[in-house]
This record gives sequence, C-alpha cells and structure tokens, in this order.
Amino acid sequence: MRRIIDNDYLTFLFRIIVGVVFIYAAYSKIFEPAAFAKGIWFYHMVPGNLINMLALYLPWVELVCGVFLIAGYQYRGSVILINLMMIMFMIALSSAVYRGISIDCGCFKAAKATESSAMEALIRDVGLLIMTLQLYFSKSKKCMLDK
Amino acid sequence: MVGKQVLVILLLSFVLGTATNLLSPNSIPFIGQYRELSSGDGPIVPPTASEGDPPFIAIDVAEMEFSLKSAVFIDARDSEEFICGTIPGSINIPFDYLPEENTQQYVDSMLQSISKDAHIIVFCSGEECDLSLHMARNLQDFGYTNLSILFGGAREWVNFELELERGEGCEE
Repeated sequence: MRRIIDNDYLTFLFRIIVGVVFIYAAYSKIFEPAAFAKGIWFYHMVPGNLINMLALYLPWVELVCGVFLIAGYQYRGSVILINLMMIMFMIALSSAVYRGISIDCGCFKAAKATESSAMEALIRDVGLLIMTLQLYFSKSKKCMLDK
Repeated sequence: MVGKQVLVILLLSFVLGTATNLLSPNSIPFIGQYRELSSGDGPIVPPTASEGDPPFIAIDVAEMEFSLKSAVFIDARDSEEFICGTIPGSINIPFDYLPEENTQQYVDSMLQSISKDAHIIVFCSGEECDLSLHMARNLQDFGYTNLSILFGGAREWVNFELELERGEGCEE
C-alpha cells in the first residue's frame, strides 16, 4: 500500500489532474465575481457580509494552489489547503443535497438553478478527494521546485 | 514550515484578489450589502436586489395574505409553467413576454380591476429566479405602491404543500 501511495508517477499524475481542475475551477470565477457571489449565496451557509470576500479570494486560493501543486512549489502548504478546500466544498454540497436546495454546484462557474446537480458534484468530489489525500500522504518528491 | 507555506499562499491570493478587484471592470464591493427578508429573519435576499426595490416576503407571510385574501398574486413565469401549477387566483403576466412598447398600458389592462395601492405579491419559479424582481420593479415604475416579492416563489409554495391551481393543457 505504501509503495502505491509513494509511487512517483501516480503522485505526478494526480498533481497534474488536481492542479488543472483547480486552475480551471478558479478561472471563470475570478472574472465573474458577482456571479460567483450569487452562487455562494445560493448555499445559504455564509453570512451576508462575508459572501463577497469569499467570492473574491477563494478563486485565487484555488488558482495559486493549483499552479503551485503542479510546479511542486510551496507544495505541502498547497496540498493542505487543497484538502481543506475539498472538505469544505463537500460539506457545502452535502448540506445542499440534505436540504434539497436545487442548485448547480458552482464549482467551475457561477452557480445557477438547475435540476439539482449537487449530488453529481459531490460524487465527483469524492474522486478528487481520493487524489488529494494520496498527495497528502505521498512522500514522492519527483519533478518539484521545492528542494 | 507548512504553516509558513499556507500563509504565503493565502497572502499571495489576498494580494492578487484585491488587485484584480480594484482593477477589474467587473469589480464588486469587498463587503457585500445583502438585505434580509422584510420579516427580518430567514435567508437573505438575492444579491441582484438593491435598495429601493420592493421588499421580499417569506412564504408564511404570503400564505397569511393568501388565506386572508388580502393580496393579489402575480405569476411572472411563462404561461406553460403557470398552467401547470400556480398559486390559486394568480394573474399570469409573463415577464419575458412583456411587449416592448406600451408596456404600462398592457400591464394596467391585465390589472384593470386592481387599484394601484392594492397589496400585490409577485412571484416566479424559485429563489434563483429574477423575473419577479424585474416585474416588481416595472410595477413600481408604473405607479403600483404596495408591492412584495415572494422569496422562493412557486417552488417554496409547493415545498410547503400549499394549494395549487392547475389549468387545462399542462403537458408535464
């Protein structure tokens, strides 16, 4: 098991996949903060005066972490923040599914009303979380800027 | 070591996020000003609502007004949705199909038996829907003075298992 977790190629592959997903997720949200703020509002989980700040800064944390993860720079910090974000997203999505809120997850663009895709997003996030946890536990240092 | 890396990433994101918002044409206020429902509790109203807009009311207020027959309900959704289930007695004025010219005459003709100071509650499909907000703004411009918007719209009405009126020809 340890050999699989520490496998250089697997770790590198997961870094690319997770990094690209986070960069892609951040991209449109950065340029449409108002739409993303509305997406956050749909979840009814964030106090009103914090919604805009989350909409402004969360996409940048996603982008910076995604880039650093691929580059292997500030790597442990990026992996920890990515895992924390994954857990946060999954709590929000689970809460939306539990409360029956019919929304697009807002993961990759501003959320809007749909025929509830929050469950699909949650399932996808489970797959991503497996990868981010592998990155957390892996000791591989292949192709990293960090020494 | 790890804590320092986390701090570096958060600080970098803070600087980039602040700079982007200051320079971007799509910037938003750093602190959002979100109004609450007129009843003062429950979820906040959509970010698209602004000062001066008619108040949003919660389902319990709408139900009370409905049971007292003290308000007129306007369904701003398309006629297909209206036929397939609406608040009983509602008047359907689909916002998306308002005529571009003589809009006020058209709306006034739809509401000819309603006085301008009657309590009017506008709704659309759900909380994500802005049709009711736009319709209420139009009505406000046309001189209707006692307007409310049902937060959560028809979906909230259905969620609370309240009475629905269905027309003929629903193809659901």
